[in-house]
Amino acid sequence: MSESHDITPESSEIISTPAVDVFMPSSEPNNAPVSERRQARRENWRLIRRRPAFIIGCFIVLVFVICALFGTQLAPHSAFDFRVKPHLSPRAAYPFGTDKTGRDVFSRVIVGARDILKIAPLAALLSIVFGVTLGMFMGYFGGWLDNVAGRLVEAFLALPVVLIGLLAITTLGNSTWVVLGVVAALFTPIVARTVRAAVLAERDLDYVTSARLRGEGSIFIMFREILPNVSGPIVVELTVRIGYAVFTVATLSFLGAGPPPPSPDWGAQVSEAYNGIAGGFWWTTFFPALAIALLVIAVNLIADSVQSVLEGS
Amino acid sequence: MGRYLMRRLLSALVTLWLLATIVFAVVNVIPGDVGRKVLGPFAPKEDVAAFNHRLGTDRPLLHQYLVSMKNLITLHFGTSYASGSKVSSVIFPALFRSGKLALLAFIITIPVSILAGIFAARRQDKLADRSVVTLGLATSSIPEFVTAAVLMSIFCVHWKIGHVYATPPAGTSLLGQLPYLFFPAMAMVIAYFGYITRMTRAGVIQALHSDYARTATMKGLGKSEVMRTHLLRNALAPTITVISVQIGYLFGGIIGVEKVFNYAGLGSTMLIAVGSKDIPVLQGAVLLVGIVYMVSTLLADLLIAYLNPRVRLETKR
Repeated sequence: MSESHDITPESSEIISTPAVDVFMPSSEPNNAPVSERRQARRENWRLIRRRPAFIIGCFIVLVFVICALFGTQLAPHSAFDFRVKPHLSPRAAYPFGTDKTGRDVFSRVIVGARDILKIAPLAALLSIVFGVTLGMFMGYFGGWLDNVAGRLVEAFLALPVVLIGLLAITTLGNSTWVVLGVVAALFTPIVARTVRAAVLAERDLDYVTSARLRGEGSIFIMFREILPNVSGPIVVELTVRIGYAVFTVATLSFLGAGPPPPSPDWGAQVSEAYNGIAGGFWWTTFFPALAIALLVIAVNLIADSVQSVLEGS
Repeated sequence: MGRYLMRRLLSALVTLWLLATIVFAVVNVIPGDVGRKVLGPFAPKEDVAAFNHRLGTDRPLLHQYLVSMKNLITLHFGTSYASGSKVSSVIFPALFRSGKLALLAFIITIPVSILAGIFAARRQDKLADRSVVTLGLATSSIPEFVTAAVLMSIFCVHWKIGHVYATPPAGTSLLGQLPYLFFPAMAMVIAYFGYITRMTRAGVIQALHSDYARTATMKGLGKSEVMRTHLLRNALAPTITVISVQIGYLFGGIIGVEKVFNYAGLGSTMLIAVGSKDIPVLQGAVLLVGIVYMVSTLLADLLIAYLNPRVRLETKR
């Protein structure tokens, strides 16, 4: 593969001494692109805000965030109380009915927003932090590091995230933190691949070469010079990852690898209730399932809006 | 073509080996006492030791790694903790049953989504196009188990036109199994329809704007003639890649669908293995899915090379 970028610290030192004079004058109008960048960012944000899909998505997510933050205060009944009669169909007092142990489904759906809205965004954020670091090193240094890491990433991508997540959580035991860590770890290679591709396109541009000639260290160049210029794909990746994280956490928790039972997590609720569908008790499954579907679609509407503005559809 | 095939096959084998190593690492990340985990905290010490000795889980890690590699090469996958039988005798029949479900899903998905993709591409940016794309985005972002549960509530319970238990009684003919498998398959069709449609649409739009499409139109060919003889061959390459990737990824979603519809496929087998902490079965099933993924992407690459001489001939240089 290409190894043309091999300017070792020693050699760049030698070159940088005379180069300082040459590059000094250009450091003054260097401020221009920064404000230009800010302007472009403002313009992008304006374009994103104006998309109807983005507004609808944000509205739905906001409703769920409020449920997650103030769930126990908002819910008309307790999410854990068994006192009500079991299997009541939806009615005024219990708009979503009650489940097989007599708990109010409406209250459980409201309170259930908390787990998934805590785990999914955090897992996505963690995967971005690790993935950006890994992808940055792969793209910037290239060579054997890129080759080995690239191979591993490819092997990781050969498996559905849910499967290897199920395997990992079975061996590690399920707790909220394990689920969070496993999802973050599984998304890291995917993020790394995106970032690597973006960095490859930047690596040989003039501003990187001149930073190198100025004698800047690799870490500085990667995270202060290149990172701001690949922020677009990273923002897109973050929003897309949050969507997939909600999907993955919900599926894992349906499969029994989520937060443990008394938790009113949506996936766990569907898992407890789906056997009742055949008996006609559709509401105990339907409403938590609807909540999952609404949240995933909302996050994806946001992600799609951000993506089509930043990457140009 | 021969050299292309060799290189592609070799790289698939390397990826498979790495995959097996990753799976081994995931399983052994906590150096736990397997016998204690499987037999529970109250089992006598001697039984635990005997269990570990019988399954080789008391041997050094390197030895276990080599054994697991040997098991992969022979497609034997080791011994089940729960039943003591060969893992391969558990997971291969399960894969076959899941395969039937997946095949039905793809037989429905592929033509529908390719036609929808072409339909949308021809009306680019019009209302019909936007609707198809948005619908695809929405349905493909919903987890499969959610779709399965909703389909089951509506069609199998409310309207009673499908079966709540998708496992057909023993001895049902292949055609007789269709009504059992239809709604579980539909849950997957809804999940995968979006991706394939979007890919086809993008490919066709790109091809529509190409020079050769213009030339073909200018020399007087009709719209459908251009589409059939010139466009599709080029436009479908990304679609074929996406389909092959989906065949591997489908096994992530099929677990949820099988659980909802109580279908005894690979997904249910894995869930039972999770319940009894039967790591070898779980590990074998995951590796098997990896193999399915490798084979399907390999076949897709060969199909693309066959359709597009540029890919095939590039390697001759």
